[in-house]
Amino acid sequence: MIETQVLEILLFPGLTFFVWIAFVFEWLERKTAARMQGRYGPVVAGPRGILQPVADFLKLTLKEEIIPEYADRFVFSLGPPLFFAAPAIGVIFIPVFGLQSIVYDDLDLLFVLFILAFSALMAIMLGYASGGRWSTIAIGRLALQYTSYEIPLIVAVVTPAVLAQSLSIQGIVAAQQPYWFILLAPLSFIAFIIAALAELEKPPFDIPSAKTEIVGGWLTEYSGRPLAYIKITKNLSYAFLSALAVSLFLGGPLGPVLTTNQLLQDVLYLIYFLVKLFAVGFLIFAIRTALARVRIGQAARFFWTLLTPLALVQLGLVIVLR
Amino acid sequence: MVDKLESESSRKEASAGLIQYSPENLVPFGPIHPALKEPEYFKLVLEGERIIEVIPRIGYAHRGIERAAQERPWLQNIFLFERICGICSFAHSLAYTQTVESLTEFEVPRRARYIRTIIAELERIHSHLLWLGLVGYWTGFDTLFMWIWRDREHVLDPVEAITGNRVHKSYATLTGVRRDLPENIGTSISKEIEYIEDRVKFYKELVSTEETLVSRTKGVGRVNRNTARKLCPVGPLLRCTGIARDIRVEDPYAAYDEVQPDVQTSNDGDIASLMALRLDEISDSCRIVTEAMEKIPSGPVKLTIPRLIPAGEGMGHVEAPRGELFYYVKSAGHKTPERVKIRTPTLANVLTAMEMLKGQTLADVPVVLTGMDPCFGCMDRIAVFEVDKQKQWTIGGDELRQYGINWYKKEGGR
Repeated sequence: MIETQVLEILLFPGLTFFVWIAFVFEWLERKTAARMQGRYGPVVAGPRGILQPVADFLKLTLKEEIIPEYADRFVFSLGPPLFFAAPAIGVIFIPVFGLQSIVYDDLDLLFVLFILAFSALMAIMLGYASGGRWSTIAIGRLALQYTSYEIPLIVAVVTPAVLAQSLSIQGIVAAQQPYWFILLAPLSFIAFIIAALAELEKPPFDIPSAKTEIVGGWLTEYSGRPLAYIKITKNLSYAFLSALAVSLFLGGPLGPVLTTNQLLQDVLYLIYFLVKLFAVGFLIFAIRTALARVRIGQAARFFWTLLTPLALVQLGLVIVLR
Repeated sequence: MVDKLESESSRKEASAGLIQYSPENLVPFGPIHPALKEPEYFKLVLEGERIIEVIPRIGYAHRGIERAAQERPWLQNIFLFERICGICSFAHSLAYTQTVESLTEFEVPRRARYIRTIIAELERIHSHLLWLGLVGYWTGFDTLFMWIWRDREHVLDPVEAITGNRVHKSYATLTGVRRDLPENIGTSISKEIEYIEDRVKFYKELVSTEETLVSRTKGVGRVNRNTARKLCPVGPLLRCTGIARDIRVEDPYAAYDEVQPDVQTSNDGDIASLMALRLDEISDSCRIVTEAMEKIPSGPVKLTIPRLIPAGEGMGHVEAPRGELFYYVKSAGHKTPERVKIRTPTLANVLTAMEMLKGQTLADVPVVLTGMDPCFGCMDRIAVFEVDKQKQWTIGGDELRQYGINWYKKEGGR
């Protein structure tokens, strides 16, 4: 029993599965952005360039690693795996194949919130460890952005928990049987998606990694394998946050039950989940393509004066009306 | 020795009371930076995200073109000067040929003057579109960048059909242009111009309504009229403060006396008004091209090209897309020019851009710094080094390496 669970965590529907989804997400993002901008996007590796992110990842792992003389070597080398661990652990709480998640706990939503915060903390530590000047500026921006989007993100995540009266993701999914929570708490969904854009450093909130302003942002000094792991982590976080949005607001793998065969029905659930997942992913990169980057002050003002009240109003409504 | 140079120049800056800074708040913007297409170095003194001082260091793209021009025949120099700048290559060759023509008694044929006007205006459209696209890139709006650059191809197509090249047109020659217009070019030009006018209308609406873009450009990098009068910028940077100055009107060349441009101005002096101004200028250029195509007379497009230019000094200027481009040519009656001096718009604008940067945030640096549409390759005519005259100014590979190591040790890795 424990062996199957380990396999589930490592292969399907756990880590490996989500890493592949992360690769597909990057490919889709690049391809859609390219098509919206009148370009082709990746075409060389694999059919329609679908293997391009994999090729980029492998190429980076083979490249030379340069550790700056003034970097904190310990954090610089240990940071990227830890950074990778955050969303990698997060995905095992998401129910994908069937209505059960691989690991289940009554309070796993709190752990997921911890993972989101840990991810930002690791980014800050990685940036400071590299010691570059652009990294330092980027970390200042990242920290300010983090303090801005964290509150609406948490409030938006708590709202479905209040609706479902449960602090486990599996329980929240189960509670969405007749109505998805996006219908009951649409403002929370909007707040979640916008805060997710900031968490993922996508435009208009790609302020900590704005290349025309601060070169590579907090990744400036990274190269080779650490860079490869940071990049795959960013994509994995992308898939993880989309999966979280699907689980919390779009009913997770829920959908019409068409067969009594348990296995077939699980496959159907998987298909429902993937359709919703890519819909959310598409929403995120459509927003990303259509907007310019804002300044950090404007972003902070937006989060504090508009999004946080919005999320709080939704939470209040839910508590009062439930 | 290099140490000495560095310390000496720092001391001079300090003694001139220019600026007090410590390595902690000094951020090197360039010479290699993703926002800059050419190497140039700006020391930014920051206070958090806010810029309190900018110290430009020019000379990184110095290529010795003025010296090279003294070695080449009059005709070959046209192609050399075109290489100063890819984007406004025709403006350079036009300014040079007009200056040389002023030394001779040749009258440029009327048809050639019209063709020069058409190409110069098409080049202005392409240059302005290029800059507008880059504003999208600098503000992180990649979609705008891709769209505008795609539309820019519609200008480059007729340019290629007429001159044979998209960028380095190699089209102007002494006493005229090298080839006549191809047949039936009129219909294809008017088709493309119509398309561009259509798109410009769309972009005008977009840059004034798209929220994120407006928030990044409105009120950013503002320069007022008095500052502009003091610092003497040229081109759109001057016109966006409401001062209507344009060489095409003040000193008409080519066919601008017969096809008159409307000088466009805007009043805010910020990046948003620069964008609006450049879009207006594109519309006006479209009108000029259409009008010139209708009025164009028939006749020869060039005369016999002289090999020797009579002795004398000539000065000429044109309104390049970025502003006034100035040429001084001295001839001693030889096969090669005695001296050529070029003042490009970027050099005139760089001080104003530094002024615009002060008080802005780091996030605004790319878009403000490049608001003048800089062309550092154009600008770097001279490289100033603090050189002790007795010593030879050469650094061997080892010495340079040692200098780098020492510098990093001294600065403690910052």
